[in-house]
Amino acid sequence: MNEHDTALWWAKIRSGGPQQAPAGSPSPAGMRRLVEPDAQSVWFLPNLPPSAAPEVLAEYRQEPATLQDSAGTLRVFAACLRCCWPDPGTDLWPGQPADLTDVDQVLQQLTPGRDRASRRKLLSASLRRLEASRWVLQTADRVRLGPRVTGWGSLELSTLRELWRMIPDPQPKSDPGGGEVP
Amino acid sequence: MIRNQNPLFDSVLATLTDRQREHVEAAYALLEHSREPVHRQELHALQDPTSRDRLEQLLRHTGRVLVQVDGLRFTSGYDDTVAAQLTAAGWQPLTTVERAVLALVLIYSVAIARSEERLAPDTWTSPYPTTEADILKASKLPAVAAKAAASKLVAAGLLTRVRDRADAEGGYVPGPQLLRLTPAARARLQEQLILAAAPNHPLAAAIRERRNRTASRENIR
Repeated sequence: MNEHDTALWWAKIRSGGPQQAPAGSPSPAGMRRLVEPDAQSVWFLPNLPPSAAPEVLAEYRQEPATLQDSAGTLRVFAACLRCCWPDPGTDLWPGQPADLTDVDQVLQQLTPGRDRASRRKLLSASLRRLEASRWVLQTADRVRLGPRVTGWGSLELSTLRELWRMIPDPQPKSDPGGGEVP
Repeated sequence: MIRNQNPLFDSVLATLTDRQREHVEAAYALLEHSREPVHRQELHALQDPTSRDRLEQLLRHTGRVLVQVDGLRFTSGYDDTVAAQLTAAGWQPLTTVERAVLALVLIYSVAIARSEERLAPDTWTSPYPTTEADILKASKLPAVAAKAAASKLVAAGLLTRVRDRADAEGGYVPGPQLLRLTPAARARLQEQLILAAAPNHPLAAAIRERRNRTASRENIR
């Protein structure tokens, strides 16, 4: 791939988020290549050195262009992370597809006081925002984590694992030894 | 996960000293990821000609260019040739409704304000909000789709939501991403706005005339 085609790929990903290509496609220079679990396609996303990545902004006290938590988008993302990443000891991506009903169950506990209809609205609007930047991917009634989550470094992942433990379980299991308290 | 090796960065920055490389990479991060343009004091790479040259090379390799917002602040934007080629190939990350909402906000907040001389020429941010009623009632856009589009445009930084205050109605104004437009992109957008807002104006006729001339010249070639 020549320099010009590489620049085109970078611009595409900058404007449209991580891009999916057939499995045999050559990688543009400086891109990370993520193979889909079915090995039929790959995702390309920038592989920035940490010294040129968004985390540098904090040192200069500049505000990054982050996803705003407008009306609870980040709670929906937290619920997705809890359901699509059942074991935080494993790699975050590709994770597992989760049913929207499970995500809704977690969301219910994260947004007490909201009725069913307003929670549904929050869920669908937030998933749309999250999918636009490929934080999640949606299929029919299921959701899975998007390629964007692989951008987190090891430091951020350890913070995320701590946070994971604070997010409620989608299906609280009944106490296995229930009723047999000595 | 390997995050440190990037052949593109390595090839452009290879001959720099560690300190220069650090400055160029930090400037790249600030220009590319900041919400707002960055003051030149923060961009140490601009103060040394070699570093500045490498910074511009790095941006060019990733489809971007340095954009000077005013005397003091900088940001980055799409390289005009890259943007033109992607557009010609049909690349369009925004949906029709999203583009319609963006165009409406640019007409109400920028074009009208500018024609009344409340905004300086070539200004693409504006303190005058476009109300939700302007977007929903005065246009033929379906309400649910238009609201969803506005929320996605806000998330992308193309619009900013202005909250209701006692003295003024809330609404939307153009977002900080508009400051990333290159001079050529701003000129193109200006023409598009004239064509959209005043298609019968002599200025619009002149723009169409010039574009036809350019197009036919290109066809002959």
